[in-house]
Amino acid sequence: MALKPATNPEVEAATIELTIDGTRVTAKDGVSLYDVIAMTGKIIPAMCYHYTFDPFGSCGMCLVMQEGKKAPVRSCTAKATAGMVIRTEGEDLFLARKKAVEKHLSVHPLDCPVCDADGHCELQDMAFEHGVTNLPNARQKFIPEDTRSLVLDFNMNRCIACAECINVCKDVLMIDALQFMKKGGFNQVVPKGDIPLQCEFCGDCLAVCPVGAITNKFSKYLYKPWQLKKTATTCNYCGDGCQLYLETKDEDVIRVTSHLSWKNKWGDRAETAKGHGGLCVRGRFGFEYIDSPTRLQRPLVREGNRFVEKPWLEVMDLVAGRLAEIKRRHGSGAIAGLMTARCTNEEAYLFQKLMRVVLGSNQLDSSARYGHLNFVRAMKRAVGIGRSLNTWEDFTKAKAVLLIGSNLTETNPLTSVRIKEAIRVYKAQVVTFDSAITNMAKLASHPFLITPGTEGLVLDGLVKTVIERDLIDEEAINQYPAAFEALKRAVSCLSLDHISSQTGISRESFQEVAEIFAEAPRSIILCAEGLVRRADGYQNVLKLIDLAWITGKLGRPGCGVNTVTEEPNEQGTVDMGVAPEFLPGLARFDDPTARERCEKLWGASLPSPGEGRSLLEILEGCKSGTIKALYVLGENPLATLPASVDVRSALERLEWLVVQDPFLTETGRMAHVVLPACTYAEKEGTVTNLEGRVLHIRQALDPKGESLPDWHIMTALASALDCPWEYQSVYDVQAEIRTLVPGYYNLGQPRKVQPVLDNDYWGTGYVREVAARYTGVSGARDQSRPFSLQIGQVLTHSGKLSTQAPGLMKIAPNTGRLHMHPEDMKKLGIQDREKVRIASERGSLQLDVEPDPSVAPGTCFFPEHFNEPPVKDLITVSVDPVTGVPAFKQSWVSIERV
Amino acid sequence: MSVGAVTKKILQAALFQEVWEAMKVTFKHMFYRPITFQYPREQRVIPDTHRGALGLLRYDDGRERCVGCDLCEAACPSRCIKVISAEDRERPLQRYAAEFYIDITRCVFCGYCVEACPVNALAMTKLYEFSTPDKRALLFDKKKLYEIGERYLEDGKKYLYAHHQEQDVQESREYRYYFPQSVLQPTQPPPKHLS
Amino acid sequence: MAAEDQRTTVYKVDPNHPESETLPTLRTEELLLNMGPQHPSTHGVLKVIMELEGERVVKSTPVMGYLHRGVEKLAEDGTYHQFIPHTDRLDYVCAMYNNFAYCRAVEKLLDLKVPDRAEYLRTIVAEVQRIIGHLFWLSAQALDIGAMTVFFYCFRDREILLDWFDELCGARLTTSWYRIGGVERDVTPSLIAKLKAFLDYFPPKIDEYQVFLEKNRIWLARTKGIAVISAEDAINFGLSGPTLRGSGVDYDVRKYEPYSAYPRCEFSVPVGKNGDTYDRYWIRMMELYESVKIIKQCLEQMEEGPIMAEVPSVTFPPKQRVFTNLESMIQQFKLFSQGFKAPPGEIYCGTEAHKGELGFYIVSTGGSKPYRLKIRAPSFVHMGAFDHMARGYMISDACTIFGTYDIVMGECDR
Repeated sequence: MALKPATNPEVEAATIELTIDGTRVTAKDGVSLYDVIAMTGKIIPAMCYHYTFDPFGSCGMCLVMQEGKKAPVRSCTAKATAGMVIRTEGEDLFLARKKAVEKHLSVHPLDCPVCDADGHCELQDMAFEHGVTNLPNARQKFIPEDTRSLVLDFNMNRCIACAECINVCKDVLMIDALQFMKKGGFNQVVPKGDIPLQCEFCGDCLAVCPVGAITNKFSKYLYKPWQLKKTATTCNYCGDGCQLYLETKDEDVIRVTSHLSWKNKWGDRAETAKGHGGLCVRGRFGFEYIDSPTRLQRPLVREGNRFVEKPWLEVMDLVAGRLAEIKRRHGSGAIAGLMTARCTNEEAYLFQKLMRVVLGSNQLDSSARYGHLNFVRAMKRAVGIGRSLNTWEDFTKAKAVLLIGSNLTETNPLTSVRIKEAIRVYKAQVVTFDSAITNMAKLASHPFLITPGTEGLVLDGLVKTVIERDLIDEEAINQYPAAFEALKRAVSCLSLDHISSQTGISRESFQEVAEIFAEAPRSIILCAEGLVRRADGYQNVLKLIDLAWITGKLGRPGCGVNTVTEEPNEQGTVDMGVAPEFLPGLARFDDPTARERCEKLWGASLPSPGEGRSLLEILEGCKSGTIKALYVLGENPLATLPASVDVRSALERLEWLVVQDPFLTETGRMAHVVLPACTYAEKEGTVTNLEGRVLHIRQALDPKGESLPDWHIMTALASALDCPWEYQSVYDVQAEIRTLVPGYYNLGQPRKVQPVLDNDYWGTGYVREVAARYTGVSGARDQSRPFSLQIGQVLTHSGKLSTQAPGLMKIAPNTGRLHMHPEDMKKLGIQDREKVRIASERGSLQLDVEPDPSVAPGTCFFPEHFNEPPVKDLITVSVDPVTGVPAFKQSWVSIERV
Repeated sequence: MSVGAVTKKILQAALFQEVWEAMKVTFKHMFYRPITFQYPREQRVIPDTHRGALGLLRYDDGRERCVGCDLCEAACPSRCIKVISAEDRERPLQRYAAEFYIDITRCVFCGYCVEACPVNALAMTKLYEFSTPDKRALLFDKKKLYEIGERYLEDGKKYLYAHHQEQDVQESREYRYYFPQSVLQPTQPPPKHLS
Repeated sequence: MAAEDQRTTVYKVDPNHPESETLPTLRTEELLLNMGPQHPSTHGVLKVIMELEGERVVKSTPVMGYLHRGVEKLAEDGTYHQFIPHTDRLDYVCAMYNNFAYCRAVEKLLDLKVPDRAEYLRTIVAEVQRIIGHLFWLSAQALDIGAMTVFFYCFRDREILLDWFDELCGARLTTSWYRIGGVERDVTPSLIAKLKAFLDYFPPKIDEYQVFLEKNRIWLARTKGIAVISAEDAINFGLSGPTLRGSGVDYDVRKYEPYSAYPRCEFSVPVGKNGDTYDRYWIRMMELYESVKIIKQCLEQMEEGPIMAEVPSVTFPPKQRVFTNLESMIQQFKLFSQGFKAPPGEIYCGTEAHKGELGFYIVSTGGSKPYRLKIRAPSFVHMGAFDHMARGYMISDACTIFGTYDIVMGECDR
């Protein structure tokens, strides 16, 4: 631990000179000698070393000779000091290292044949490289395998006590779920407290384990590493867009591995600011849905009350025929489309082109409407950029992070690792405002628990405090003095005491937070589902922009307003124009120049600007009968939206419902035709993650059964509708996107953006709008319903997709229980697993309760991934007046014992 | 050249001397025993080293030797082996080959798989007559391979000894059968030299 | 027209003939004949497009590739070790020599020293293989010319040696007995006894074959002065082995770049004079005697010792150690699943097979698989001289010319 300051980039250490193998090198004082040697490109074997955490020094392999010392020294734990003369090669060192390997080998079991790591094992490599033969005195441990965990098996016979797993868990992920324990005469790695492992199951310990001591339960004994075909692709679960390797054998996905691995142990610590290369439980263990037996294999056509499998040609003919007929009879306005944000950019582009050009309808929307569009619209309006302003690197290097309404470790685990690194390495101050006791709050320097539904008020309070305490940045407000005056006027009528009492945050806390935020050189705002998916999301994002603006954080490097997305391609789907208000490239749909460009490229006229309908309007249209045909691509509104929207009756009225999905979803069961689509493992394309990186998805498998990639189906459909598209592959689509949105394909690099303050908005519109923004009131609250019901994501699941992965369902099954704080349960006299009646203005239902200390007092939680029991139906939907985003994640309920 | 020699040569040529000499050899062979034999009524004597069809072996107590390590698959130069390994449902934490295929139409009978096998589960037998009108029958599956192994067990064992794959050493035998890490409770005491 | 004129000759009937005025002018053309690929004398599947003038060969173009299996490409797909069984299928008549040549090349690349006993064993088996190769050639050549008896006798003796191989390594043809760093299996006393018995039995048999052929006027007529190639041409065409030595060039890799146990044996290299089919036949017959001599010397000199080099990063551990030692287990798994890493570089290594110089050219980039492997197959090189050697001879001689430089299409097409 003594080394930590030296590896902290913020600490300025003296530059020293030392000699390595006869060459003079310069380094920072106090850095591990091993790092210095590794920087020169020399690789010394080391089994316990990984660049993402501080050296541990247990393997004894990294020996070097220091002049003046008789015995070799361990370079990883030695500090580089000025004037050192180091030799890294030589027969004596080779023999010393060989001895170290022999030490590990002599207590290692002879089980290469049954070990999953065989062929991908550092101990094997080292033994082979050093030519170890004929070891005397081999002993063996006889430690029973720990198979209690749901995900990982610990076979401590094979452990070489390198502690990489413990270090990565403690230092990089800050979860600290593993420890050493002396058991049976050997130092063993056990879950903290020697109980079955209960952690976030990110599996990074598995990735860094250089031997087969930690093994993956989902692929145990199914493979040997040399049999697997490795495909580098992008995770399809959340907006982090983690790069992963799908390892397949024949036509099955066997396991998922990450860039973080003991194999990639040499690197620059500073590079981890861009991501440490690990994965989360979803990415690493949630791959099983790809091979799921419930996948659709052939097109289904409804005949009466049942589905019949039909050949593609017949079905495409039927679908195209009916769509054409409806268009002819009722006009384009009778056709609408919905799309999921799990598809690729190319598919999103084709989808909007199909809807707008081929079917002539601007009634299309994607699942980005569930919240992300609040953010996009607000950012687009205020700063002209429809996405997050910062990259992961900025997150890591921030000095102050403001996390609002975000359970980051659950929704976007790898983004949360960035914040953790900010805390650990860059000593950032992290402020969290949330109505739940999140994991981030436990690590944050300033965690605040707020009254549910008062996120907007908190922001009011912050803006007011900043102005009151004069923490404003003169340079920034002097650009638009009128706007600032208007803002000042707007907040002047707010009372901080009132806000304090409403939100539960004291005046002093507001001041502290405002000071931290305003005075830090790099401040990041990160808002998530707790803000953008709730009522007034659009206005609240604008408040955040205000906050950043007056403190001068808008446009300064390393600062900005950001959000995280739940689905992998929410950003890309909007970028590609799958929203009635946008054309590809986030051009406004009514922007004449953009329209002209598109019309010219597509050789067709676009629907007129006034005709667009967004998600809820489309469903409304279905219900009222103006929309006759709905093309649903991967979306599942029936399972997602609460009963108050009445999706079922809307879908029932449709003349023609086409659902295209890898699985038979709830919506799919109501369809007239279900088309089998591929999962991301079976197609090529790109997705845009929350940083704005365009990341490749690469094909690892052949499509299952007769399923086809979505772009392929859409191309065929367009051709069947007398609009022959000539795309041979997604690369043809990419070429077209390139001409329409130049520079979109940024080869996986984050797009650096510089906010451009929109004159129209900041000059005139702002003054008009701002007064209405700072109302100082939170949503009306019925005192008879004291509990806030919140539905949201859990770590192990993402949307409805992850419920198809048996492994994830095993880790986090649908218990059907309501999570409540133990205190609340005590107050109400409810025991664990007892039945309660939960009632809202929409109705009531009975379900079991379980205590969950991470739920704040006065709230209760139910995962949004499960509809059994239909808790989500208790929630009233409020629609954002500007963006049309439905908010249905929170509601007030009463709970009583049955 | 003398006149006599020339005369002799002419005479030899006229009388086809070289044909007579050759015929002498041929006639001599009439009194030799035939070196051919009447296959299939008579069978060749095949040496123990012979690399014939592959079979999977069991231990004397009937357990499968194969632990599904897939090394034979990796060693095979013609990629004709396919092992699908899995956890044995009946013996938890034991790895075994759930399926085992050898596409004998592609097999080149090089014996590498036997050399590679760390438990000597594979052996080559003296079976060479497996021609069939149905090509599909030549994809030997696990059942068929164990059948061959059972029927030609002696051949297989002799092969292993002949190729120095197995020796009658107590130590190696008891060690080989023992994978302590893959059982929750060791099913047999650890080998003597390990304790 | 000019091109056509070259190819056609117009014969005028004798103008003094009384009926010359009434006879039409005869027009003749060269005949294009496709010989093979199913022709039995083409030693596999070779097609030759021959231009014939009457019965004389004017030009012949071998068309190859009917037996192409991409062996060189296969080498790039597997580890160094895994390629050995593929070399069996090059010249399937003499698998041992291919194994030997390949292993030698890899050992040269790795700079690997093979134990003494292994070197002697390799030499013995290589010479046994040479006897088999020459016997096979002789039988085929004699059969091509029409001497059936020799074919039977040669095969009878070859059979003894093939059975000996079977006992040695478990296969008669596709042996895969050589290993990088040594050999797979040691000879047993019974094998040595059998070999010794054969060495006593065999030389009189060679005399016997000669009785059939040496003076036979048909044989002489079909071989003497047929397919003559001068020493200069032979060198220019890159011929090697008996085919080169038949033209009077004294070149033998065993003598000029001695390898294995050859430098420790005394033997002579027979050299011909005329460069015709007969001389090549004669050289091969002499080489049979020499091979017997070499084997006898090796058997005398050979001492007990290891048969595999012990280099843990390259050679396989003895199986018994795998069962008891973790290091050997690791070695076994690493070598079989990933192979050893050869140092980067390029290497060419020629070995005197019975047909000629069999060379392996390996390009290594430091990985566990060859980056590129090229086989200098004597059959292929010799095929290049076919046109030159066949020109002007009768079509019936073409069959013997295939035979005279001993082609095996498996090696030629690879």
